[in-house]
Amino acid sequence: MKSLFCLAMAIGAINQDLFAAEAGMPQLDPKYWASQTFWLILVFTALYILISNFYLPKIKSNLDNRENKIKEDLENANKFKKQSEVKLKEYEIILENAKKEVIKINNESKNILTKDIQSKKELMEKEIEKEILKAQKEISELKKNSISSIQDISKNIASNIIENISGDKLNESSIKATVEEVSKKNINKYL
Amino acid sequence: MASNPMQQFTVHRIGPEIKIAGIDLSFTNASLFMVISASIILLFLFLASKEKKLIPSKIQLIGEMSYTFVAKMISDTAGSKAKPYFPFIFCLFMFVLFCNMVGMLPYSFTVTSHIIVTLIMALFIFVAVTIIGFIKHGFKYLSIFIPSGVPAVLLPLITIIEIISYLSRPVSLSVRLFANMMAGHTMLKVFGGFVVSLGILGGWLPLSFSVALTGLEILVAFLQAYVFAILTCIYLNDALNLHH
Repeated sequence: MKSLFCLAMAIGAINQDLFAAEAGMPQLDPKYWASQTFWLILVFTALYILISNFYLPKIKSNLDNRENKIKEDLENANKFKKQSEVKLKEYEIILENAKKEVIKINNESKNILTKDIQSKKELMEKEIEKEILKAQKEISELKKNSISSIQDISKNIASNIIENISGDKLNESSIKATVEEVSKKNINKYL
Repeated sequence: MASNPMQQFTVHRIGPEIKIAGIDLSFTNASLFMVISASIILLFLFLASKEKKLIPSKIQLIGEMSYTFVAKMISDTAGSKAKPYFPFIFCLFMFVLFCNMVGMLPYSFTVTSHIIVTLIMALFIFVAVTIIGFIKHGFKYLSIFIPSGVPAVLLPLITIIEIISYLSRPVSLSVRLFANMMAGHTMLKVFGGFVVSLGILGGWLPLSFSVALTGLEILVAFLQAYVFAILTCIYLNDALNLHH
């Protein structure tokens, strides 16, 4: 800047004969120094009073407001974050408990169900066994009955056959004994 | 003589002559541009602080940025003790900046290109800082002239140098601003004159220089306002925190 200044002054000096008399630098002419000083003090004082009393407090309060607002918002955000973290933990605990309970309930119901099924099964098996025994008894009775009726039938048939063939009537008791004998021999084939 | 590059700095009376106790206090073009600069500052700050939005509008943002810019400058250089002087530094910075910037407009007048204006401001700062120093520290403030860790043999010499440097503060502060502004505007005028004298064939080179210099001068206008304000902060720092 200084070299530019010197250059300008040199050019000015060559062209315009600057440093000759008062015409050179109007700044050094003391005619209006008092006036400039007076107006400078007046204007600057007025400016200072207006700025420091009106505008700077306004700007400052606005800046402070913003800073406070930002701080408040940040604090709130932090608070909410902490709250949400606590809630999240609570939620996780609840979830874990629920899971445990689910497992417990599941196991319990499984046990109950298996017990139930077991007891019902046993009951059913007993009943089935009973039925089977009953049926077997009936069958064996029927068999016995059938044997005696078969013996009767075969006795009658045998007496009838003998009567028809020989015309004689045989002793019933001997026929019976014979039939019983035969049937005893052969009964094992059918039972 | 319109082509005189110094002619732009002449002060002339506007309106009636005002004389108080034999001193000429007439309203001049310099006064007019002081008033214009101050009005623009006030208008800007009015618009910037009119709305109090949480999310600022553009003009509000510029106002808030200039506030924080100056506040940061003060707290960085002079510490928290300098807070009460914030309005003054802010006002000083804005006034010098806007005077410089308004001076960049064609046909306008640059208030800060006058040594008397910058000298009055610098003298006020110098006197105020000295008074603040004495109020805060009493006669201990004189120890500002005795740097610590200096050999006893050199002490008288160093002290004399320190005193001279302290006393030359208002001169350096005022001349820096005044010379920068005057030099820049003179350069612009000289190159502008070349454009006219070289005509349509040869005038392009100085014209491009002129354009480039205008950009440079806008930078200088801001920079000098910043330098003026930050030097004030540094002087204030010396007065408030008595160690260096």
